Amino acid sequence: MMLAYVDPGLGMLIWQTIVAVAVGLLFYLKKIRRAIFGFCLKIIGRKTKVTIGSSSVPAQKAAKVEREVKMR
Amino acid sequence: MAACAPSFRDPAGICLCFQRRVLRFVTAEAVAEFENFLHSRLAQEFLAAKKIISTRRLTDGETTPLREEPELKPRFAAQPGGSVYEHERIPFASYAHEWPPEMLCAAGRLTLELARTALTDGFGLKDATPGNILFRGHEPVFVDTPSFERRDPRDAIWKAHAQFVRTFLLPLLASRRWGLRLADIFTTRRDGLEPEEIYRLCGPFEKFHPRLLPLVSLPTWLSRRADPDDQKIYQPHLLADAEKAQFILESLFRRLERALTAQEPAGQKSAWSDYMTTHSYGDPAFTAKEQFVRAALEEFKPARVLDAGANTGHFSALAARTGAAVMAVDIDPVCVGAIWRRARQEKLDLLPLVVDLARPSPALGWRNRECASFLDRAAGNFDGVLMLALIHHLLVTERIPLTEILQLAAQLTTRLLVVEFVPPQDAMFRRLTRGRDQLHAQLNVHQFEQACQPYFEIMRFLDLPGTHRRLYCLKRKAGVA
Repeated sequence: MMLAYVDPGLGMLIWQTIVAVAVGLLFYLKKIRRAIFGFCLKIIGRKTKVTIGSSSVPAQKAAKVEREVKMR
Repeated sequence: MAACAPSFRDPAGICLCFQRRVLRFVTAEAVAEFENFLHSRLAQEFLAAKKIISTRRLTDGETTPLREEPELKPRFAAQPGGSVYEHERIPFASYAHEWPPEMLCAAGRLTLELARTALTDGFGLKDATPGNILFRGHEPVFVDTPSFERRDPRDAIWKAHAQFVRTFLLPLLASRRWGLRLADIFTTRRDGLEPEEIYRLCGPFEKFHPRLLPLVSLPTWLSRRADPDDQKIYQPHLLADAEKAQFILESLFRRLERALTAQEPAGQKSAWSDYMTTHSYGDPAFTAKEQFVRAALEEFKPARVLDAGANTGHFSALAARTGAAVMAVDIDPVCVGAIWRRARQEKLDLLPLVVDLARPSPALGWRNRECASFLDRAAGNFDGVLMLALIHHLLVTERIPLTEILQLAAQLTTRLLVVEFVPPQDAMFRRLTRGRDQLHAQLNVHQFEQACQPYFEIMRFLDLPGTHRRLYCLKRKAGVA
């Protein structure tokens, strides 16, 4: 439990609270942005999946498998 | 009691100096919280990085003799069930009114760094004042360890925010913008500057300056409109989401860091900051002076040196390079700021302070016991003192008698004094007299040497080539009061 004994100010405390509310909104915006970004990545990831043989794997993994096949 | 009680405002306990030991009495209610912090991974990391002072709990065996001390009995009586801790002693306690803006800025940066790092480990700083910081050489150290407490993870408000602004940001802003000295601010105000005080100094357009708006104008306008009796403002408003609270606080600390950077002192100039390039010595005289001082330091090998009237710290740095822990004092904050930057750059054991020897920092605070006077802290604390190109300023500008100056020197050093005698025919001396040459017409080396006799033994002297000045290497006589 914080034993806060210092003078928190009046105007300064109100200002900090107002900014905290604004930053709190930013927190949600960031969360939403992250969710949208994640969703888009998921969709892009699905589209770039390629078929090697009978199995479906993401493009990056497919490229790695192709490189290994060439080396052999 | 060698008086210092820097932390008696904290309900968690008080801190005091007793027989050159720094003791902290922690109340029974606060012991668990304090122990919790001291044994945390966070505290160990801060300690390893030398960012906080080392602290240990005294055992019962160590506490028992202290209970018998008449001066400490009331402390134990006032805190039954509490515990006593001992802090590492910082060689020289200094205060914000003796720091140049650069040091206040470094202290603020450390405070923010600790507060931000502590956040991720679930701790918070309950106060944020320069009083929590001392300097070990040029490095700031956080000394008020009970300031760390477990914070409520859902609390998005830092109660110490206003104090940080009052005691770090606004004094730095006032110093940078209006040239206010930190000594003028902190000797008369314990808790720094209120936004309202700065607001009154601002011109009509300045109030809308992007740097002043969030620190000065908006808080002032808001406090004018708010109901001062509305206690709801001060109630904690806990959020449902701890992650959000942490996000808000991290953002606050980043903003404060940016504000601190914006107030960082720029490379200012003063009447004395260019002295090393404009002084009246020719190269042979300056080289001879350097050699004389170095030889004296190497012969006496002082462990703690005071460079009085250090200017930009050329000779302080020279002393620090011989292995001594050096304190450099000068009246000019710009010069002292330059010394601090130099000490940090060259990693020297050098503590620079803004002190006017003719008006040294007085004892301050409650019953004059919270901050000891400069002379109380400095007397006998040094085994080497340098007074180079200083005496004529004290004699002429401050009108201090020669014997008084030498008495002070004998009070400050326990062994070595290197002093530069500047006679009245010297160009710098005459510049200071401003036509009052007659007042010092009798002053010469013989009179100076006679004045030294009661306190010091003259080991050797050197006439600086091409000048009228003479350097003395003096050894303090034993038994001088």
